[in-house]
Amino acid sequence: MPLTDREILETIRMFELETLDIRTTTLGISLFDCADPDLESTCEKVYTKVLSHARDLVAVADSIAGDYGVPIVNRRIAVTPISFIAAASGAQDLVPIARAMDAAADEVGVDYIGGFSAYVHKGFTRSDAALFDSIPAALAGTDHVCASVSLASTRAGINMDAVVRFAKVVKDTAQLTRDEGGIGCAKLVCFCNAVEDNPFVAGAHIGPGEPETVLNVGVSGPGVVRSALERLGPEADLVAVAETVKRTAFKITRMGELVGREAARRLGTTFGIVDVSLAPTPAVGDSVAHCLELIGVDRTGAPGTTAALALLTDAVKKGGAMASSRVGGLSGAFIPVSEDQGMIDAVRAGTLSLAKLEAMSAVCSVGLDMVAVPGDTSAAVLAGVIADQLAIGMVNSKTTAVRIIPVPGKGPGETVEWGGLLGTAIVQDVGPAGCEVFHGRGGRIPAPLQSYRN
Amino acid sequence: MPRRYMTLEDVQRAGGPEIIVDEETTVTPQALEFAEGAGITIRTSAGAYSAPHPDRGPDAELAMRELPHLPEPRDSVDGQPHETGAIVTAVGRNRPGVLAEITVALAELGANVLDVSQKMIGGYFHLIVTVDFAQGRSFEEAKAKLSCLGGEGDYVVRVMHERVFRFMHRV
Repeated sequence: MPLTDREILETIRMFELETLDIRTTTLGISLFDCADPDLESTCEKVYTKVLSHARDLVAVADSIAGDYGVPIVNRRIAVTPISFIAAASGAQDLVPIARAMDAAADEVGVDYIGGFSAYVHKGFTRSDAALFDSIPAALAGTDHVCASVSLASTRAGINMDAVVRFAKVVKDTAQLTRDEGGIGCAKLVCFCNAVEDNPFVAGAHIGPGEPETVLNVGVSGPGVVRSALERLGPEADLVAVAETVKRTAFKITRMGELVGREAARRLGTTFGIVDVSLAPTPAVGDSVAHCLELIGVDRTGAPGTTAALALLTDAVKKGGAMASSRVGGLSGAFIPVSEDQGMIDAVRAGTLSLAKLEAMSAVCSVGLDMVAVPGDTSAAVLAGVIADQLAIGMVNSKTTAVRIIPVPGKGPGETVEWGGLLGTAIVQDVGPAGCEVFHGRGGRIPAPLQSYRN
Repeated sequence: MPRRYMTLEDVQRAGGPEIIVDEETTVTPQALEFAEGAGITIRTSAGAYSAPHPDRGPDAELAMRELPHLPEPRDSVDGQPHETGAIVTAVGRNRPGVLAEITVALAELGANVLDVSQKMIGGYFHLIVTVDFAQGRSFEEAKAKLSCLGGEGDYVVRVMHERVFRFMHRV
């Protein structure tokens, strides 16, 4: 059947008016062969390998954007968790490796390189401990490096010792970047059930099961879903809403499949996954909150929000799974508060609390994301917030993440401007009560039963 | 398996006026810089050293064989996908000569027009032309030339690869 005018105009409208884009082409590079007993040599190898593999990434992404007329917003790199690579050196200070990653990212022209990471959901190696200690200085001293850590999983439980340690890392990172509103924490995330092929920052890295090099694609399109829901109108029932989102997600994902195939071919590497995620940006119309409001809640955070988000996330996954056999990563809907104009408005209006965000994270594809809290929030309270979020992921066998920014010098209700894609945040109240004894216990929350699920 | 990297430390340790490396070995920029400063020649058995092509790994070799065989969406039952095809759309205020301007530009690009559709709403038009660009003509060139047509308050031309539409609307 030839393409109809209607189909052609629908595609043009998505790109021109509804901000459809390929959010990221992320090249995964295994760094296992960079391990060396000498830290300086490790750094040299990391720099050299990233440079040689990613040299063409920007040009290839640009050529695809030119040839197909499809905007590709970001080009990024994900690498093997650095704690694996650094172990052979026995070094205590891993900041030089972060600098090597940063220099390579700068040279090839990508905006972020993810993988200053460690897996500690069961416990620490010496190298993991060194990486944790190096995170604050690494993030404060580089522009492009992102750090992520796996603190829990459904099979392993929650490593509370690691959560406590991570909370301190968050506080220290905020302090070291206090002149920029604690922006270092925007490049730092912790996970329960971390996915090993996530192309989106700050959690981008490639796990030990990934190939030597792999091209992963992240597609977005809250603007397209929003417009489709607008056209559907308020009369349609929820099955029609789900169907509309699903069909739209299908079309968005097909663009990811096309770009992924082409990028992998032109780079001469493996095509990994398409991550179909409704990822908002501060741009007008590019908001997940507005999608939820079109489904029918007066304001994001109002009663019904969690249910609407569950519908949205599931429909996106279903549409994506029909469109590509390579759907992976975090696929679903992101709710990064500071990056979504609708969420910022909801926090300002007082409808979107931290507690409601936590509830929403049980059904979204990630978790508490880009949430600003007062700079004087104690490490114990931060650890409590993080543990709550990880518990939701652990029990529900899903990925959850926390990217939280204790903004130095700011209290509840105050505004912090990070600019660019990171947007604007309103500092949220964490409440008057703490969890000192819980925080002080340490140890591990055992893995949950996989049966008797009610 | 040949040595993967030669680092600054390796060069310092090896010393000597000349180091012979495997063709697949990557010498780090730091090592090359040091060698140059110290008057050490780094070469392969075949001649001067040059950075090897990046080894994308064993899976990449398989991928290069498999990628061309992935099913490609078709836009008609018997039609072959047009690898050089594009869809040109124009939207704007109607006036005499618009269609001529666009088709003349297409002719100059050597484009073979496969389908044309035009509709009028009020004083505005939208035009969709499906074309096949002659082999050898770059898509980029066609896009640059066509995008210059029209202008603000007149009409806007967009060019997109027809594969984009097939992927979005066909399986």
